[in-house]
Amino acid sequence: MVVGDGRQNERRQIDADADRLLKGVARGAAGALIFGLPMLMTMELWFLGFYMERYRLLILLLANLPLLVVLAHRIGFEETFTWSQALRDAVIAYGIAIAMSAAVLTLLGIAKLGMPPTDIVGKIVIQAVPASIGALLGRSQLGGEDQSSSAGDDQNENDFSTSYGRELFMMAIGALFLSLNVAPTEEIILISYKMTPWHATATVALSILVMHAFVYAVAFRGAHQLTVGTPRWHALIRFTLPGYVVALLMSLYVLWTLGRLDDTTPAQILMSAIVLGFPGAVGAAAARLIL
Amino acid sequence: MTVTSKSRSTESTQPHWLEWLVGAVSAVLIIAMTGWIAGEAILHQETAPEFRVENLATQVVKDGFRVEFEIFNDGTSTAAAVKVRGELIRGGQVTETAETTFDYVPGRSSSRGGLFFSQSPAGGDIRIRALGYTEP
Repeated sequence: MVVGDGRQNERRQIDADADRLLKGVARGAAGALIFGLPMLMTMELWFLGFYMERYRLLILLLANLPLLVVLAHRIGFEETFTWSQALRDAVIAYGIAIAMSAAVLTLLGIAKLGMPPTDIVGKIVIQAVPASIGALLGRSQLGGEDQSSSAGDDQNENDFSTSYGRELFMMAIGALFLSLNVAPTEEIILISYKMTPWHATATVALSILVMHAFVYAVAFRGAHQLTVGTPRWHALIRFTLPGYVVALLMSLYVLWTLGRLDDTTPAQILMSAIVLGFPGAVGAAAARLIL
Repeated sequence: MTVTSKSRSTESTQPHWLEWLVGAVSAVLIIAMTGWIAGEAILHQETAPEFRVENLATQVVKDGFRVEFEIFNDGTSTAAAVKVRGELIRGGQVTETAETTFDYVPGRSSSRGGLFFSQSPAGGDIRIRALGYTEP
Protein backbone atom coordinates (compact mmCIF):
# COMPACT_ATOMS: atom_id res chain seq x y z
CA MET A 1 0.00 0.00 0.00
CA VAL A 2 2.84 2.33 0.79
CA VAL A 3 4.37 1.38 -2.56
CA GLY A 4 1.11 2.16 -4.38
CA ASP A 5 0.90 5.55 -2.73
CA GLY A 6 4.44 6.27 -3.76
CA ARG A 7 3.66 5.44 -7.39
CA GLN A 8 0.62 7.65 -7.36
CA ASN A 9 2.59 10.48 -5.91
CA GLU A 10 5.23 9.93 -8.52
CA ARG A 11 2.69 10.10 -11.31
CA ARG A 12 1.13 13.20 -9.83
CA GLN A 13 4.62 14.69 -9.64
CA ILE A 14 5.26 13.87 -13.29
CA ASP A 15 1.94 15.41 -14.33
CA ALA A 16 2.69 18.53 -12.36
CA ASP A 17 6.17 18.68 -13.92
CA ALA A 18 4.75 18.33 -17.43
CA ASP A 19 2.17 21.00 -16.70
CA ARG A 20 4.83 23.35 -15.41
CA LEU A 21 7.03 22.71 -18.43
CA LEU A 22 4.16 23.37 -20.85
CA LYS A 23 3.32 26.56 -19.03
CA GLY A 24 6.97 27.50 -19.18
CA VAL A 25 7.06 26.87 -22.93
CA ALA A 26 3.97 29.04 -23.43
CA ARG A 27 5.51 31.82 -21.36
CA GLY A 28 8.72 31.45 -23.32
CA ALA A 29 6.80 31.83 -26.58
CA ALA A 30 5.09 34.92 -25.20
CA GLY A 31 8.44 36.34 -24.13
CA ALA A 32 9.95 35.59 -27.53
CA LEU A 33 7.10 37.53 -29.13
CA ILE A 34 7.23 40.49 -26.77
CA PHE A 35 10.98 40.90 -27.00
CA GLY A 36 11.36 39.69 -30.58
CA LEU A 37 8.58 41.52 -32.45
CA PRO A 38 10.34 44.88 -32.76
CA MET A 39 13.19 43.09 -34.51
CA LEU A 40 11.00 40.75 -36.50
CA MET A 41 9.45 43.85 -38.01
CA THR A 42 12.72 45.62 -38.77
CA MET A 43 13.54 45.65 -42.47
CA GLU A 44 17.29 45.93 -42.01
CA LEU A 45 17.39 42.67 -40.10
CA TRP A 46 15.69 40.79 -42.94
CA PHE A 47 18.35 42.09 -45.29
CA LEU A 48 21.12 41.30 -42.82
CA GLY A 49 19.78 37.76 -42.73
CA PHE A 50 21.01 37.17 -46.24
CA TYR A 51 23.90 39.54 -46.71
CA MET A 52 25.75 39.35 -43.42
CA GLU A 53 28.87 37.26 -43.48
CA ARG A 54 28.15 33.67 -42.59
CA TYR A 55 31.04 33.22 -40.20
CA ARG A 56 29.97 36.23 -38.18
CA LEU A 57 26.43 34.86 -38.07
CA LEU A 58 27.84 31.52 -36.94
CA ILE A 59 29.87 33.15 -34.14
CA LEU A 60 26.77 35.01 -32.96
CA LEU A 61 24.71 31.82 -32.92
CA LEU A 62 27.37 29.83 -31.07
CA ALA A 63 28.05 32.62 -28.59
CA ASN A 64 24.34 32.88 -27.86
CA LEU A 65 24.14 29.39 -26.40
CA PRO A 66 26.50 29.74 -23.40
CA LEU A 67 24.93 33.14 -22.80
CA LEU A 68 21.50 31.55 -22.62
CA VAL A 69 22.78 28.80 -20.33
CA VAL A 70 24.12 31.32 -17.81
CA LEU A 71 20.92 33.34 -18.12
CA ALA A 72 18.81 30.23 -17.63
CA HIS A 73 20.84 29.25 -14.60
CA ARG A 74 20.28 32.68 -13.16
CA ILE A 75 16.56 33.12 -13.71
CA GLY A 76 15.41 29.56 -14.20
CA PHE A 77 13.04 28.41 -16.90
CA GLU A 78 11.36 26.20 -14.37
CA GLU A 79 13.36 26.44 -11.18
CA THR A 80 16.71 25.62 -12.64
CA PHE A 81 19.39 24.55 -10.25
CA THR A 82 21.91 22.40 -12.01
CA TRP A 83 23.88 23.37 -15.07
CA SER A 84 22.50 20.47 -17.09
CA GLN A 85 18.99 21.72 -16.37
CA ALA A 86 20.12 25.20 -17.34
CA LEU A 87 21.48 23.80 -20.61
CA ARG A 88 18.16 22.07 -21.28
CA ASP A 89 16.22 25.25 -20.57
CA ALA A 90 18.55 27.28 -22.77
CA VAL A 91 18.10 24.84 -25.64
CA ILE A 92 14.32 24.88 -25.18
CA ALA A 93 14.31 28.69 -25.20
CA TYR A 94 16.47 28.71 -28.33
CA GLY A 95 14.11 26.23 -29.95
CA ILE A 96 11.04 28.29 -29.04
CA ALA A 97 12.75 31.38 -30.42
CA ILE A 98 13.57 29.70 -33.74
CA ALA A 99 10.02 28.38 -34.06
CA MET A 100 8.47 31.75 -33.20
CA SER A 101 10.78 33.63 -35.58
CA ALA A 102 9.98 31.19 -38.39
CA ALA A 103 6.25 31.45 -37.67
CA VAL A 104 6.17 35.25 -37.54
CA LEU A 105 8.40 35.73 -40.59
CA THR A 106 6.16 33.33 -42.53
CA LEU A 107 3.06 35.11 -41.28
CA LEU A 108 4.41 38.47 -42.40
CA GLY A 109 5.26 37.08 -45.82
CA ILE A 110 8.97 37.72 -45.39
CA ALA A 111 10.00 34.08 -45.52
CA LYS A 112 8.29 32.41 -48.45
CA LEU A 113 8.56 29.12 -50.24
CA GLY A 114 10.79 29.35 -53.26
CA MET A 115 13.27 31.70 -51.59
CA PRO A 116 16.83 30.41 -51.40
CA PRO A 117 17.28 28.33 -48.23
CA THR A 118 20.27 30.40 -47.06
CA ASP A 119 18.08 33.48 -47.24
CA ILE A 120 15.25 31.97 -45.19
CA VAL A 121 17.52 30.28 -42.66
CA GLY A 122 19.66 33.40 -42.29
CA LYS A 123 16.61 35.56 -41.59
CA ILE A 124 15.14 33.17 -39.05
CA VAL A 125 18.39 32.46 -37.30
CA ILE A 126 19.43 36.07 -36.73
CA GLN A 127 16.00 36.83 -35.27
CA ALA A 128 16.25 33.82 -32.99
CA VAL A 129 19.08 35.40 -30.97
CA PRO A 130 17.13 38.29 -29.42
CA ALA A 131 13.95 36.18 -29.37
CA SER A 132 15.68 33.46 -27.34
CA ILE A 133 16.74 35.99 -24.72
CA GLY A 134 13.11 37.13 -24.72
CA ALA A 135 11.93 33.55 -24.31
CA LEU A 136 14.05 33.14 -21.19
CA LEU A 137 13.06 36.54 -19.82
CA GLY A 138 9.42 35.77 -20.53
CA ARG A 139 9.60 32.96 -18.06
CA SER A 140 11.12 35.12 -15.37
CA GLN A 141 9.12 38.31 -15.92
CA LEU A 142 5.71 36.89 -16.83
CA GLY A 143 5.94 34.07 -14.34
CA GLY A 144 5.74 35.89 -11.05
CA GLU A 145 5.89 32.87 -8.75
CA ASP A 146 8.92 30.71 -7.96
CA GLN A 147 11.04 33.82 -7.60
CA SER A 148 12.23 33.01 -4.14
CA SER A 149 14.11 29.99 -5.42
CA SER A 150 16.44 32.05 -7.57
CA ALA A 151 17.02 34.50 -4.75
CA GLY A 152 17.94 31.64 -2.46
CA ASP A 153 20.25 30.32 -5.13
CA ASP A 154 22.16 33.56 -5.10
CA GLN A 155 22.76 33.56 -1.40
CA ASN A 156 24.48 30.20 -1.67
CA GLU A 157 27.24 31.77 -3.64
CA ASN A 158 29.96 32.91 -1.35
CA ASP A 159 32.68 33.37 -3.92
CA PHE A 160 33.03 37.10 -4.41
CA SER A 161 34.66 37.15 -7.80
CA THR A 162 32.18 34.65 -9.22
CA SER A 163 29.15 36.72 -8.35
CA TYR A 164 30.97 39.86 -9.52
CA GLY A 165 31.73 38.17 -12.83
CA ARG A 166 28.11 37.09 -12.97
CA GLU A 167 27.01 40.68 -12.43
CA LEU A 168 29.17 41.86 -15.34
CA PHE A 169 27.87 38.96 -17.41
CA MET A 170 24.27 39.97 -16.77
CA MET A 171 25.13 43.51 -17.83
CA ALA A 172 26.66 42.11 -21.01
CA ILE A 173 23.44 40.24 -21.79
CA GLY A 174 21.31 43.33 -21.20
CA ALA A 175 23.63 45.43 -23.35
CA LEU A 176 23.70 42.81 -26.09
CA PHE A 177 19.94 42.57 -26.15
CA LEU A 178 19.27 46.28 -26.44
CA SER A 179 22.18 46.80 -28.83
CA LEU A 180 20.86 44.07 -31.12
CA ASN A 181 17.49 45.78 -31.00
CA VAL A 182 18.84 49.08 -32.20
CA ALA A 183 22.02 48.33 -34.13
CA PRO A 184 20.55 46.94 -37.36
CA THR A 185 18.85 50.21 -38.25
CA GLU A 186 20.66 52.73 -40.39
CA GLU A 187 19.96 55.41 -37.81
CA ILE A 188 22.89 54.34 -35.61
CA ILE A 189 25.33 54.98 -38.45
CA LEU A 190 23.55 58.18 -39.44
CA ILE A 191 23.58 59.51 -35.87
CA SER A 192 27.30 58.83 -35.52
CA TYR A 193 27.87 60.84 -38.71
CA LYS A 194 25.73 63.71 -37.48
CA MET A 195 27.36 63.89 -34.06
CA THR A 196 30.40 66.02 -33.39
CA PRO A 197 33.06 64.79 -30.92
CA TRP A 198 31.50 67.13 -28.37
CA HIS A 199 28.19 65.35 -28.68
CA ALA A 200 30.04 62.07 -28.20
CA THR A 201 31.72 63.13 -24.94
CA ALA A 202 28.35 64.31 -23.64
CA THR A 203 26.82 60.95 -24.60
CA VAL A 204 29.53 59.09 -22.68
CA ALA A 205 28.88 61.16 -19.57
CA LEU A 206 25.12 60.79 -19.88
CA SER A 207 25.33 57.04 -20.46
CA ILE A 208 27.35 56.55 -17.27
CA LEU A 209 25.05 58.85 -15.31
CA VAL A 210 21.91 57.09 -16.51
CA MET A 211 23.43 53.70 -15.76
CA HIS A 212 24.38 54.67 -12.25
CA ALA A 213 21.08 56.41 -11.52
CA PHE A 214 19.07 53.46 -12.85
CA VAL A 215 20.66 51.04 -10.46
CA TYR A 216 21.39 53.10 -7.36
CA ALA A 217 19.42 56.32 -7.24
CA VAL A 218 16.01 55.63 -8.75
CA ALA A 219 14.33 53.21 -6.38
CA PHE A 220 13.08 50.66 -8.86
CA ARG A 221 12.13 47.23 -7.67
CA GLY A 222 15.34 45.24 -7.68
CA ALA A 223 17.44 48.36 -7.22
CA HIS A 224 20.81 47.92 -5.58
CA GLN A 225 21.64 49.39 -2.25
CA LEU A 226 24.89 50.38 -0.71
CA THR A 227 25.56 49.60 2.88
CA VAL A 228 25.50 52.63 5.12
CA GLY A 229 28.82 54.41 5.19
CA THR A 230 29.97 53.24 1.77
CA PRO A 231 30.70 56.24 -0.42
CA ARG A 232 28.75 56.42 -3.67
CA TRP A 233 31.85 56.49 -5.82
CA HIS A 234 32.74 52.98 -4.63
CA ALA A 235 29.85 51.52 -6.60
CA LEU A 236 30.60 53.85 -9.49
CA ILE A 237 34.12 52.49 -9.85
CA ARG A 238 33.33 48.87 -9.07
CA PHE A 239 30.11 48.40 -11.01
CA THR A 240 29.00 51.28 -13.19
CA LEU A 241 32.26 52.03 -15.00
CA PRO A 242 33.06 48.36 -15.74
CA GLY A 243 29.43 48.00 -16.80
CA TYR A 244 29.81 50.86 -19.24
CA VAL A 245 32.98 49.33 -20.67
CA VAL A 246 31.08 46.04 -21.04
CA ALA A 247 28.25 47.90 -22.82
CA LEU A 248 30.77 49.52 -25.17
CA LEU A 249 32.42 46.18 -25.91
CA MET A 250 29.04 44.62 -26.66
CA SER A 251 28.25 47.55 -28.96
CA LEU A 252 31.51 46.99 -30.79
CA TYR A 253 30.80 43.28 -31.06
CA VAL A 254 27.28 43.84 -32.41
CA LEU A 255 28.49 46.48 -34.87
CA TRP A 256 31.23 44.15 -36.07
CA THR A 257 28.79 41.26 -36.39
CA LEU A 258 26.47 43.34 -38.52
CA GLY A 259 29.37 44.53 -40.67
CA ARG A 260 29.06 48.17 -39.64
CA LEU A 261 32.75 48.59 -38.84
CA ASP A 262 34.16 47.48 -42.17
CA ASP A 263 36.37 50.04 -43.95
CA THR A 264 35.88 52.56 -41.19
CA THR A 265 38.42 54.68 -39.36
CA PRO A 266 39.03 54.16 -35.62
CA ALA A 267 37.42 57.54 -34.87
CA GLN A 268 34.20 56.55 -36.66
CA ILE A 269 34.23 53.11 -35.02
CA LEU A 270 34.46 54.75 -31.62
CA MET A 271 31.67 57.19 -32.45
CA SER A 272 29.30 54.39 -33.52
CA ALA A 273 30.22 52.40 -30.41
CA ILE A 274 29.40 55.38 -28.20
CA VAL A 275 26.09 55.94 -29.97
CA LEU A 276 25.13 52.29 -29.61
CA GLY A 277 26.65 52.23 -26.14
CA PHE A 278 23.91 54.53 -24.92
CA PRO A 279 21.06 52.02 -25.39
CA GLY A 280 23.59 49.34 -24.42
CA ALA A 281 24.23 51.08 -21.09
CA VAL A 282 20.51 51.37 -20.43
CA GLY A 283 20.13 47.67 -21.26
CA ALA A 284 22.99 46.75 -18.95
CA ALA A 285 21.52 48.76 -16.10
CA ALA A 286 18.07 47.29 -16.71
CA ALA A 287 19.56 43.80 -16.65
CA ARG A 288 20.96 44.44 -13.17
CA LEU A 289 17.50 45.39 -12.00
CA ILE A 290 15.53 42.67 -13.74
CA LEU A 291 17.83 39.67 -13.50
CA MET B 1 6.33 42.02 5.44
CA THR B 2 8.02 43.92 2.65
CA VAL B 3 7.70 41.80 -0.44
CA THR B 4 10.19 43.77 -2.42
CA SER B 5 12.96 43.48 0.07
CA LYS B 6 14.08 40.09 -1.16
CA SER B 7 14.84 41.46 -4.58
CA ARG B 8 16.86 44.39 -3.36
CA SER B 9 20.50 43.62 -3.59
CA THR B 10 23.08 45.12 -1.33
CA GLU B 11 26.62 45.38 -2.56
CA SER B 12 29.13 43.70 -0.34
CA THR B 13 31.04 45.89 2.10
CA GLN B 14 34.28 44.01 1.66
CA PRO B 15 34.70 43.78 -2.10
CA HIS B 16 37.25 41.49 -3.67
CA TRP B 17 40.40 43.26 -4.85
CA LEU B 18 39.56 42.08 -8.36
CA GLU B 19 36.51 44.33 -8.36
CA TRP B 20 38.69 47.35 -7.69
CA LEU B 21 41.14 46.29 -10.37
CA VAL B 22 38.41 45.89 -12.98
CA GLY B 23 36.93 49.19 -11.88
CA ALA B 24 40.26 50.98 -12.13
CA VAL B 25 41.01 49.53 -15.58
CA SER B 26 37.54 50.55 -16.74
CA ALA B 27 37.98 54.07 -15.41
CA VAL B 28 41.28 54.38 -17.25
CA LEU B 29 39.73 53.08 -20.48
CA ILE B 30 36.80 55.46 -20.31
CA ILE B 31 38.98 58.45 -19.44
CA ALA B 32 41.36 57.59 -22.27
CA MET B 33 38.49 57.24 -24.73
CA THR B 34 36.85 60.47 -23.68
CA GLY B 35 40.19 62.20 -23.72
CA TRP B 36 40.88 61.04 -27.23
CA ILE B 37 37.52 62.23 -28.47
CA ALA B 38 37.90 65.54 -26.69
CA GLY B 39 41.31 65.89 -28.33
CA GLU B 40 39.70 65.13 -31.65
CA ALA B 41 37.09 67.79 -30.93
CA ILE B 42 39.69 70.42 -30.11
CA LEU B 43 42.42 69.62 -32.61
CA HIS B 44 40.67 68.45 -35.73
CA GLN B 45 39.00 71.04 -37.80
CA GLU B 46 36.07 69.98 -39.85
CA THR B 47 36.97 69.81 -43.51
CA ALA B 48 34.57 69.29 -46.37
CA PRO B 49 34.50 65.90 -48.09
CA GLU B 50 37.15 65.44 -50.75
CA PHE B 51 37.04 62.43 -52.97
CA ARG B 52 39.70 60.35 -54.61
CA VAL B 53 38.97 57.22 -56.60
CA GLU B 54 41.19 54.21 -57.20
CA ASN B 55 40.33 51.61 -59.80
CA LEU B 56 40.84 48.18 -58.36
CA ALA B 57 40.08 45.63 -61.04
CA THR B 58 38.22 44.98 -64.25
CA GLN B 59 36.39 41.72 -64.69
CA VAL B 60 34.44 40.18 -67.53
CA VAL B 61 30.81 39.57 -66.56
CA LYS B 62 27.84 38.25 -68.47
CA ASP B 63 26.86 41.30 -70.53
CA GLY B 64 30.04 43.29 -70.40
CA PHE B 65 32.67 44.38 -67.95
CA ARG B 66 32.71 45.26 -64.30
CA VAL B 67 35.10 47.90 -63.03
CA GLU B 68 35.56 47.75 -59.28
CA PHE B 69 36.77 50.85 -57.53
CA GLU B 70 37.34 52.33 -54.13
CA ILE B 71 36.37 55.89 -53.29
CA PHE B 72 38.28 57.66 -50.52
CA ASN B 73 36.97 60.61 -48.58
CA ASP B 74 40.00 62.61 -47.47
CA GLY B 75 37.92 65.21 -45.66
CA THR B 76 36.85 64.78 -42.05
CA SER B 77 33.12 65.24 -42.76
CA THR B 78 30.99 62.36 -43.89
CA ALA B 79 29.25 62.62 -47.23
CA ALA B 80 25.89 61.05 -47.96
CA ALA B 81 24.28 60.12 -51.29
CA VAL B 82 27.60 60.34 -53.12
CA LYS B 83 26.96 60.06 -56.85
CA VAL B 84 29.82 58.57 -58.81
CA ARG B 85 30.18 58.50 -62.58
CA GLY B 86 32.60 56.47 -64.63
CA GLU B 87 33.51 57.46 -68.17
CA LEU B 88 35.11 55.23 -70.74
CA ILE B 89 37.31 57.39 -72.93
CA ARG B 90 38.67 56.29 -76.29
CA GLY B 91 40.65 58.62 -78.49
CA GLY B 92 39.65 61.64 -76.46
CA GLN B 93 35.94 60.81 -76.81
CA VAL B 94 33.61 59.62 -74.06
CA THR B 95 32.12 56.47 -75.51
CA GLU B 96 30.21 55.18 -72.50
CA THR B 97 29.23 56.24 -68.99
CA ALA B 98 28.06 54.33 -65.93
CA GLU B 99 26.81 55.66 -62.61
CA THR B 100 26.25 54.53 -59.06
CA THR B 101 25.38 56.16 -55.74
CA PHE B 102 26.89 55.50 -52.31
CA ASP B 103 24.66 55.92 -49.28
CA TYR B 104 27.62 57.11 -47.23
CA VAL B 105 31.31 57.72 -47.61
CA PRO B 106 32.47 58.46 -44.04
CA GLY B 107 35.15 61.05 -43.34
CA ARG B 108 38.72 59.72 -43.60
CA SER B 109 37.34 56.41 -44.80
CA SER B 110 36.59 54.66 -48.02
CA SER B 111 33.79 52.72 -49.65
CA ARG B 112 33.86 50.23 -52.49
CA GLY B 113 31.62 49.81 -55.45
CA GLY B 114 31.46 48.65 -59.05
CA LEU B 115 30.40 50.06 -62.42
CA PHE B 116 29.25 48.11 -65.45
CA PHE B 117 30.34 48.88 -68.99
CA SER B 118 29.18 47.08 -72.10
CA GLN B 119 32.35 47.88 -74.03
CA SER B 120 35.72 46.55 -73.05
CA PRO B 121 37.74 49.08 -71.09
CA ALA B 122 40.89 47.57 -72.58
CA GLY B 123 42.66 50.01 -74.86
CA GLY B 124 40.61 52.87 -73.45
CA ASP B 125 40.81 54.98 -70.36
CA ILE B 126 38.39 54.80 -67.45
CA ARG B 127 37.86 57.93 -65.44
CA ILE B 128 35.76 57.67 -62.29
CA ARG B 129 34.85 60.72 -60.26
CA ALA B 130 32.33 61.88 -57.68
CA LEU B 131 29.63 64.17 -59.04
CA GLY B 132 28.13 65.39 -55.81
CA TYR B 133 27.02 64.59 -52.27
CA THR B 134 24.69 65.72 -49.53
CA GLU B 135 25.43 66.29 -45.86
CA PRO B 136 24.06 63.46 -43.78
